[in-house]
Amino acid sequence: MAAGKKVFLLVLLLALTLYLMRVSAFGPRGEAPAGGAVRDLLAPLQQGLTWLGEGARKALSFPVSLVHASRRAEELSRRVAALEGELLSAREYRLENERLKQLLDYKSGPAAAAGLEVRAAAVIGRDPGSWFATITINRGRAHGVAENMTVLTPRGLVGRVIGAGEHSATVLLITDPRSAVGALIQETRTPGLVEGEAGGTGRLHMIHIPNDQPVQEGQVVVTSGTGSLFVKGVPIGQVTRVKRDSTGLFLEAEVKPFVDFNRLEEVLVVTGVRSP
Amino acid sequence: MRSLFFLGALFGLALLLQVTLAGMISLWGAVPDLVLLPVVFHGLWRGSREGALWGFAAGLGKDFLCGHYLGLSALSLSAAGYLAGWAESRLYKESTAVALLTTLGCSLASQLIYYPLLFFVGVKVPLVTAVVRVILPTAVYSAALVPLFYPLFSRLYQRGWMGSG
Repeated sequence: MAAGKKVFLLVLLLALTLYLMRVSAFGPRGEAPAGGAVRDLLAPLQQGLTWLGEGARKALSFPVSLVHASRRAEELSRRVAALEGELLSAREYRLENERLKQLLDYKSGPAAAAGLEVRAAAVIGRDPGSWFATITINRGRAHGVAENMTVLTPRGLVGRVIGAGEHSATVLLITDPRSAVGALIQETRTPGLVEGEAGGTGRLHMIHIPNDQPVQEGQVVVTSGTGSLFVKGVPIGQVTRVKRDSTGLFLEAEVKPFVDFNRLEEVLVVTGVRSP
Repeated sequence: MRSLFFLGALFGLALLLQVTLAGMISLWGAVPDLVLLPVVFHGLWRGSREGALWGFAAGLGKDFLCGHYLGLSALSLSAAGYLAGWAESRLYKESTAVALLTTLGCSLASQLIYYPLLFFVGVKVPLVTAVVRVILPTAVYSAALVPLFYPLFSRLYQRGWMGSG
């Protein structure tokens, strides 16, 4: 009796299990009818267990991951800093390369065509005051640089050498109030004298322009070369404003130089002029 | 002796910074006068005599290093030091605001002395250009730097590192 009862219960349990297996199986028509209900029933528990398990995993692995993350962050920071440094150096080299290429192109192109013998020099110092405008370059007498030599860039006139040491020289910029350059309006060949202005404004004034020779805004001013310390035909700047001078006898023009004197890093010194 | 060494080193450093750094931090063409600052500070703490003396020495050093007209900066900075010394017993020199205004005034005076001296050496600069483009911007820029340096200088003077008053 007892044995029969046990067998019955066993069979019942087996049948129930089989039934549950049957109803919970994933059938050809989609999810089993009881699947959703079972899952819904178990979902909160499952979610809770999952949350606890995940929390436990994180809690256990957090210190380890923290150490790893910290090392990784440190390593990445070092690499980023190193790469940033390399990037800046590369950018600096690229810019320097571009500038030197321009100088080289000018040296072997327009300068050579004009018969100019030039020597490249780097700007190593600037006038420390507000009144004057001079620069110091890293070429001197040992490199063939002498006083009164013209200094220029591919964009235009920079100034002239006023003092030459053995390995360095001082250049008086055309924006210095002590500078005066014999000049011409390129189109009309109207003569004048280009002077600098104090205060590092970078502005130039072309004075003593004959009254009867009109000058217009936008016209290009170049060195005249005649009776001047500067070589002929070097671009100086562009006329931005014209007015009558205080005497009324001459015109005076404001000239914007082609050269950006605040960003001057390399220049060319004209060490000689070949006869055509 | 120690204070003399410190003063010499300080003015030497100011000259070095003026020659190497000042040109790089120019604003719209205006360059701060970094040598003027210690000259004014010294005059403000030690009186006209010392201000004028150190102003002259520092100015001469500046003229020499810049390769310009020797004596031009020496005279103008000497005047700045003297004027700052005038304020020594009359104004509350511990105040940074007082130092700023004194620097502004001394810088203007120094530049206004420099200007006619330029004519003396044959450099002609129109007055309006000189005032608008050089004198005012330089004075304002130099004075604007006072809050950065004066508190430190003030402490050095108060602790006797720059000589006794």
